[in-house]
Amino acid sequence: MENKDQILVIGGGVAGMEAARQLKSLGFKPILVEKGPALGGHVASWNRLFPDMTPVRKVLDPLTSSLEGVEVLLDTTVESVSRSQREYTVVLTRGRVIKCPAIIIATGFKLFEARKKEEYGYGIYDRVITNKDLENWFNTGEDGRVPDRPSAVGFVHCVGSRDIKAGNQQCSKVCCITAIKQAIEVKERFPQAEVYCFYMDLRLFGKKYEDFYINAQRDCGIHFIRGRVSEVAELIDGRVQVKAEDTLSGRPVKVKLDLLVLMSGIVCNPANNHLASELSVPLDEDGFLRSRDNIFSVTESDRPGVFFAGTCTGPKTIPETLSEARGAALGVYNYLKGKK
Amino acid sequence: MIERMSFPFHPFVLPFLIGMSFVLIYCLYGIVKILVQLTRDERRRFLLSLIKPSTAWKNIKDIFLNCLLHVKLWKRNRMLGFMHSSIAFGWFMIIVLGHVEVMLFLPDRVHLLYYPIFFNFFVAETESTIGGAVLFFLMDFFLLVILTGIVLAMVKRVRSRIFGMRRTTRASFLDTVGLYSLWAIFPLRLLSESFTAHISGGSFLTVPMNWIFRQFLGNDLYYLPTWWAYSIALGIFMAVLPFTRYMHIPAEMMLIPMRNAGLRIMHPRKGFARVQVLSCPGCGVCIDACPMSARKENLKDCTVYLNRQIRRGNEPRIEEISDKCLLCGKCTEVCQVGVDGPALRLAQRSMRKYGINQHYNIIDPEGYIGALGSAKVLYFAGCMTHLTPGIKKSVLSVLDKAGVRYSVMDPDGGLCCGRPMMMAGRWEQTRELIRLNTSIIKASGCDTLLLSCPICYRIFAQKYRLDGIRVVHHSVFFNELSRQGRLAVKRDPELRLAYHDPCELGRGCGIYDEPREAVSAAGVLVEGEKNREESICCGGSLGSITLSYEKRRDITLKSLMNMKAGSPDAIITACPLCSSTFGHYSDIPVKDIAELLDSKS
Repeated sequence: MENKDQILVIGGGVAGMEAARQLKSLGFKPILVEKGPALGGHVASWNRLFPDMTPVRKVLDPLTSSLEGVEVLLDTTVESVSRSQREYTVVLTRGRVIKCPAIIIATGFKLFEARKKEEYGYGIYDRVITNKDLENWFNTGEDGRVPDRPSAVGFVHCVGSRDIKAGNQQCSKVCCITAIKQAIEVKERFPQAEVYCFYMDLRLFGKKYEDFYINAQRDCGIHFIRGRVSEVAELIDGRVQVKAEDTLSGRPVKVKLDLLVLMSGIVCNPANNHLASELSVPLDEDGFLRSRDNIFSVTESDRPGVFFAGTCTGPKTIPETLSEARGAALGVYNYLKGKK
Repeated sequence: MIERMSFPFHPFVLPFLIGMSFVLIYCLYGIVKILVQLTRDERRRFLLSLIKPSTAWKNIKDIFLNCLLHVKLWKRNRMLGFMHSSIAFGWFMIIVLGHVEVMLFLPDRVHLLYYPIFFNFFVAETESTIGGAVLFFLMDFFLLVILTGIVLAMVKRVRSRIFGMRRTTRASFLDTVGLYSLWAIFPLRLLSESFTAHISGGSFLTVPMNWIFRQFLGNDLYYLPTWWAYSIALGIFMAVLPFTRYMHIPAEMMLIPMRNAGLRIMHPRKGFARVQVLSCPGCGVCIDACPMSARKENLKDCTVYLNRQIRRGNEPRIEEISDKCLLCGKCTEVCQVGVDGPALRLAQRSMRKYGINQHYNIIDPEGYIGALGSAKVLYFAGCMTHLTPGIKKSVLSVLDKAGVRYSVMDPDGGLCCGRPMMMAGRWEQTRELIRLNTSIIKASGCDTLLLSCPICYRIFAQKYRLDGIRVVHHSVFFNELSRQGRLAVKRDPELRLAYHDPCELGRGCGIYDEPREAVSAAGVLVEGEKNREESICCGGSLGSITLSYEKRRDITLKSLMNMKAGSPDAIITACPLCSSTFGHYSDIPVKDIAELLDSKS
């Protein structure tokens, strides 16, 4: 097998999987490297996806099956990279060395550690969970923190995103719609429960998102309260009390809840630091990888032969991630065609 | 000793005389002006303290130790201490000995201001004085001491690091003039006295020099120009002194008695504040000490530059510097003179006029009093502990474990302690909050007020009048519980714990040992590189009104780096704000002392 057809794809989430799939159909030999024990990334731990409530399996299964014949290295990370005139030599953990003319980085994001917003009491109070915990509960039905018959459930938007104090100024883009999706799902399971969403402002930009929002208010009776939560306290009976300001009515509000869900935001993946320094690609101020250009060449880096796909360059939805993966694969194709 | 001249005057003394008279008149005018600016009560207190034997003795002792011997500076850096005390004390001794000479040999010339300074010009040595050469020896000795200091000062200009200083201030034009004239005074004095040593006498320094010069200089034509130059150097130094940093020499002698009299800074420019500003020697020790020095663009926001801008009257910069400061108090801690930078800034902030002034009259303390229990220990969590629920939970858990009966003053949120308003310089609002909280605490019937936030603790301990109710910080209280055996703490000898001194608890209230003792009960205490009085602010301080969160990041990272010097397994602090600020950036666990003790008991 010649090295010039070998392309390294770093990261086995939806971006990496889609990129590998496209590379394969373009006639390359992609090698997919994933640091964890399974493919699918963050999406694999989700239950259903907006805006059509698509089950996650419906997205991941076709992706997985189309990767047949693609070499997948699980539990593997990049140790070092060196570059010669024609190709990159990548040393992986477990002693594997790969020579390839181009690399697609699809290392994705990290979910903000809700524990860092101490005032919300994650990890301290029993009734506080994150969006990821809730999806896990949808999948497994197992989480001691979720009560059997809650009468009030709250969602806090923007946990660790658009928050300079927490060190993240960027909007995570997907949590507004995810919160509404999860609020509707909770309401479906517990019709008797009152559901509250505490938001700064709602950013519902995508197709069908606004329908979701209207549906949530009109059909599900979910309460939307504009104002950041200032403080969460535990009551003697184990419930939590949320204090916030309703900035529309200009009054402080206090709500007692059986469950509080924190919408942890998308923050940069710290693993990018090592990769970026090995490949000499710059990081942006927000810690995400920097695209060559934010309009025309989002999937390209400043380094020839290094391409980006998905949330390693910033928060994105799944459809955006998939199209970037395709764009990156096409970028590799055009880059190598020009070199022949 | 006899007079060489028939008339005890020579025109060369004029530059010195003019400079000296100018300084004396200037200082006298300044003292009167400052006394007028004090309030009637302050003025009475200050003047009474001057005649009260205990404070008067303390004043003399402090002035001698600080202004002349520079003992504080010796503790900081021996080279720096030697340099300053050799010049100050040496000069002082030369002036004193000069007067002694005049009094001994020419008692009828004592009233002439310039005689002790230019003594060797006006006299001729006689047989009677050669025997008592001790005075001449001492004069030469102290001149040598000063010259050593001057040489060190020149070395310091080039290599300040030898003296333990990384950064120093950039001198203004007049400061430079003052500096060079100061440097010139003593070599010129040595030259002049050497040239006249065969007439007026001298000792181990001046006599040999006189002999050397006489080997190749055939006549005495050189000595008059040198005495002129000596007098001119003195004159220039005196003339520029009020406009340079050397103003700190007379000002500090005023600062020490005023501080000993217990005066406080009330107005940012007038009275005591003016003395503080003038007492700043502009050495720049506070530049390295300031936590904001982690950022290059904030290097000029420390106290030495605040003082400089106040002297220049640069209003926009004064406001900017005053609002930006974190009020951590480290500049005052390291300052050799003890200029109270934070107090100057608070006074500046208090001058601001606001469009809206909060009033808390609508708050009815009865509503809070009704919810209080009757326990003897009253716990006030405060807003920061409410925002860090883990700490609150641990405090209550430790109290339960130790069997302490307590009631919580603010179970569902309470009134503010007033410290944030005080830090914003809004004293009227502060007073109102203090009044409301005091009535609640007194009505509770408690005998101990427990605080878990040093920000609250400081104002409760220092500004509230609670008549016998003990105000205690949880680090001190829990340490007592652990010492008394009421709280059984299991020690982990493998666990390395670095204790971070919160500004408000350490420098603010002087509590350093009890938290360390409590930490040692649970693990091995290690220290940060800078600790105790010199610990570095975490960057989260409420003190700064304008410093943005992005800019605080570098301060936090620098402070964290400092804490990790002893490679600890965890950082322990006693302030919820420090704990959450560090928590955002630290890669090792950051815990409050309450959380530590709770987990180990």
